[in-house]
Amino acid sequence: MTASTHSFTAPADLEKGIKSWRTRALAVGVVALAAGAAGGLGNPDQFFRSYLWAYLFFVGVTIGCMALLMLQYLTGGAWGVVIRRLCEAATRTFPLLLVLFLPVVLGISHLYSWSHPEVAAADEAIRHKQAYLNVPFFLGRAAFYFLGWIVFALLLNKWSLAQDTEPGSRQQLKLQLVSGPGLLFFGLSVTFMAIDWVMSIDPHWSSTMYGLLFIAGEGLSSMAFLITTLVILSRSRPFSEVITRRHLHDLGKLMFAFVMVWAYFSFSQFLIIWAGNLPEEIPWYVRRLHGGWGWVGLALAAFHFAVPFLLLLSRDIKRNYNLLTAVAVWLLVMRMVDLYWLVMPEFRKGEFGVSWMDFVIPIGLGGIWLAAFTWQLPKRPLLPPGELHLEEALAHGRD
Amino acid sequence: MTKTIYGMMAEFDTPGALVNAAREARAKGYRKLDAYSPFPIEELSEALHLHKSRLPLIVLIGGILGGLTGYLMQYYVTVLYFPINVAGRPLHSWPAYIIITFEMTILFAALSAVFGLLALCGLPMPYHPVFNVPRFALASRNRFFLCIEATDPLFDRKATSDFLGTLEPREVSEVAH
Amino acid sequence: MAEICSPLRLPLIAGRKKPAAVTEDVCRALTRPPSGLWWAAFAAAFALLLLGTAAVSYQIATGVGTWGLNTTVGWAFDITNFVFWVGIGHAGTLISAILFLFRQRWRTSVNRSAEAMTLFAVMCAGIFPVIHTGRPWLAYWLFPYPNFRGSLWINFRSPLAWDCFAISTYFLISATFWYVGLIPDLATVRDRLASTEGGSLRHRLFSIFSLGWNGSYRVWRHYEVLYLLLAGLATPLVISVHTIVSWDFATAVIPGWHATIFPPYFVAGAIFSGIAMVLTLMLVARKAMGLEDYITTRHVDVMCKLLLLTSGIVALAYGTEFFTAFYSGNPYEEFVFLNRAKGPFAWAYWTMVSCNVLVPQLLWFRRVRRSMGVVFVLSLLINVGMWFERFVIIVTSLHRDFLPSSWASYRPTIVEVSTLAGSFGLFFTCFLIFCRILPVIAMGEVKAVLSHGQGNGGEA
Repeated sequence: MTASTHSFTAPADLEKGIKSWRTRALAVGVVALAAGAAGGLGNPDQFFRSYLWAYLFFVGVTIGCMALLMLQYLTGGAWGVVIRRLCEAATRTFPLLLVLFLPVVLGISHLYSWSHPEVAAADEAIRHKQAYLNVPFFLGRAAFYFLGWIVFALLLNKWSLAQDTEPGSRQQLKLQLVSGPGLLFFGLSVTFMAIDWVMSIDPHWSSTMYGLLFIAGEGLSSMAFLITTLVILSRSRPFSEVITRRHLHDLGKLMFAFVMVWAYFSFSQFLIIWAGNLPEEIPWYVRRLHGGWGWVGLALAAFHFAVPFLLLLSRDIKRNYNLLTAVAVWLLVMRMVDLYWLVMPEFRKGEFGVSWMDFVIPIGLGGIWLAAFTWQLPKRPLLPPGELHLEEALAHGRD
Repeated sequence: MTKTIYGMMAEFDTPGALVNAAREARAKGYRKLDAYSPFPIEELSEALHLHKSRLPLIVLIGGILGGLTGYLMQYYVTVLYFPINVAGRPLHSWPAYIIITFEMTILFAALSAVFGLLALCGLPMPYHPVFNVPRFALASRNRFFLCIEATDPLFDRKATSDFLGTLEPREVSEVAH
Repeated sequence: MAEICSPLRLPLIAGRKKPAAVTEDVCRALTRPPSGLWWAAFAAAFALLLLGTAAVSYQIATGVGTWGLNTTVGWAFDITNFVFWVGIGHAGTLISAILFLFRQRWRTSVNRSAEAMTLFAVMCAGIFPVIHTGRPWLAYWLFPYPNFRGSLWINFRSPLAWDCFAISTYFLISATFWYVGLIPDLATVRDRLASTEGGSLRHRLFSIFSLGWNGSYRVWRHYEVLYLLLAGLATPLVISVHTIVSWDFATAVIPGWHATIFPPYFVAGAIFSGIAMVLTLMLVARKAMGLEDYITTRHVDVMCKLLLLTSGIVALAYGTEFFTAFYSGNPYEEFVFLNRAKGPFAWAYWTMVSCNVLVPQLLWFRRVRRSMGVVFVLSLLINVGMWFERFVIIVTSLHRDFLPSSWASYRPTIVEVSTLAGSFGLFFTCFLIFCRILPVIAMGEVKAVLSHGQGNGGEA
């Protein structure tokens, strides 16, 4: 079983299956988003809040996929070869995400109090930040993040495709070369994206750890997304012939690592602010750890960390297709809860509550995003035939 | 019955030959086998049909005990035994106690791993008959040995020695007790 | 042993070695009399150690007043050295545990000596807080135990108490991990000595410490599980140690210390400086002991890339801190950061930035990574930079505090400088002795990866 005897293109039946998924996802997405938008006419504040939150989740998965793609080029591990094409397909949704960012732009005045001149004028602290927190600069920065993401996605996709027809180390070297600066840009852009789009909802509060919380969360959610997709695809060729428990074990370990990193960052930030107990910092946690939000916080500690941690300790679970997928889907849900807990308490000061739009809008955005992902996915062979580590990666799976 | 021996030992040049020999011996029906090598060989556990190590369970228990010890010690001292206001923090300052709890978990888990290994393997072992084979000194350097022990029901000095001879070893020798 | 390797994989060990040759190459150093270079290095290190011992003795006899500390700057040289040495230690655990979990097999040639480095570095680190207490003979007061002094217990809410637990756990576990890894190699040396000097004291010591290891499969299978478990436990442990060190500062409310990014920032910085120290030691050791086939240019290349990565994280943290100082709108935070860049310690700050952020950018170039001399110089510069990083964080955040009337400066005394020199002396003395009496390369592990990539030929 060598690389040349394989055909890695999605066979007709799989392509048909993907296509029907795409149609359904798109239909559900459009209907749900339309319903959300209709509700938004009556309650624009709620619409933009729910939209921002859902958007953060999907843009996070996409950015995370790109970071993992670059990471696997740099480490050269066998684990990355099997998910390479899935990551690439995800990065090709950046143009769509750029379009989907428009509602956030339209909602600036609903989302960010610093955008109102009268609020800024009355508040010394916000006035101080006007050099950074102002609408033109905010838009300029967002444009810069998207420009960077799209350029890196373009290069990564272009050279990877070139490698299919020209196997060998030339393209691999280029891919490695772009991945170093790419990861640096990833770190910078996510740090500032988190500050701009989320932290600045409360313009009085700041934490240097904040960007890292997003980096860990995005790594985790993209890993969980990739595991889920891979397991679904492994029912059919080409993955059914290639994917084994050992690949799953490796990916499961990485997801486990991200669970711990997320918990580590979250706890460190909490402990430092708890110990300092300073009036400019602690209110952020007071809002999130009292009343209904306190229960959400507790649920995060239990179900975003403790339970998945204990489950993923087990080697048998990491090697079980269904159980690992269940944990991955669970973590995707918890990631949404985590983002909800970061975003919403700012708008509902102290009061816990959920709107119907918080259900409709993520479904809408998710449907559209998944449609784009499944549209891009079968466009290329599902495994990179020119990849230099391919043989090793496939052999790694054979017990 | 002449003087009892520990077993029969064959010496091989490569890890591959040792794995093959172990497989053949299993296929022949021998069960009391042991292989000796200068570094671990992945295929051997499967060739020798060894069951899973119980070490992870020992470590898990050690870790849980360590964590409980750490947390309860702090809770007992600061809440029950000597409650005193320190810097206005609550008596039961759980965020702060997580850290020592964590360290104690790791400490106990790691120590139980090491002592668990010693107990499971019977180390330190001052005497073992395999060292009576002069060439066995190479087992820690670059030679690979397979030993069929005398306690095996199929063991027979002549037959076992002949069987080992068919596996293309470098040398077959008796292991004295 | 048909292992499928991608064509990109090059042999980990050069020179097409056979297992027997590995034993010989590594053990030769143990029986050969030491070279003149070794004696020269040992004499220098030992002299420094004596100097340090004299300084510490004088300080203990006289009091902490022999240091340049004052009411405003209550922490300076000693804690800088403490954080510096703990950080150095972390690279050893990274190489032995984290890279093991990630199946980075190149680690086998360097993990033994990197772990030894960890132990010696943690020993050096431990000295400083203990002598800073002023009465080191009462150091056991740092641990909780039932006592008869009016129920006096340590403060479990204090990061200094956490430190105590973290550092002692770390030392114990690192020592255990190192020893467990040594056992099979001790057995190899034992069996080799048996033929040449059976019954000698050295042979007997190796026999005792190898615990009767015979390479049996009944032992190997547990041993492999143990190694994996210890690696899995050491990884969160090492991260927790430097995290707790960072909490020594971050849980306080002093501007410049109280930053939520400190834990990952300190961990990345620790690994950064530690890898630099590993490189310094390895580049000398491979030359001095003729281990070029084991520690190849490829090992150096990979470690340089790790330096580049950690330097990037450290730079990102510098940037984030500076940005947030402005963004927070807190005038004290802003002042501390401006004072770092422009105040009386600006020279230290800019040394730190140049050595930790600018200089490592050279490592983007392959030619630099492959030139041993340049890498050696870079590794020294990075450690200078990382030492200054801790100095800058500690001293510049303290010396101009909230009240301008209490502003003060800080200047280390000769006693403090000698103590720092002495810690280097201790470190190198221990390392040089280690090179003489124990196998510096994990023979068992190297033998297991000899065949890796051998089919692709060529040298890295």
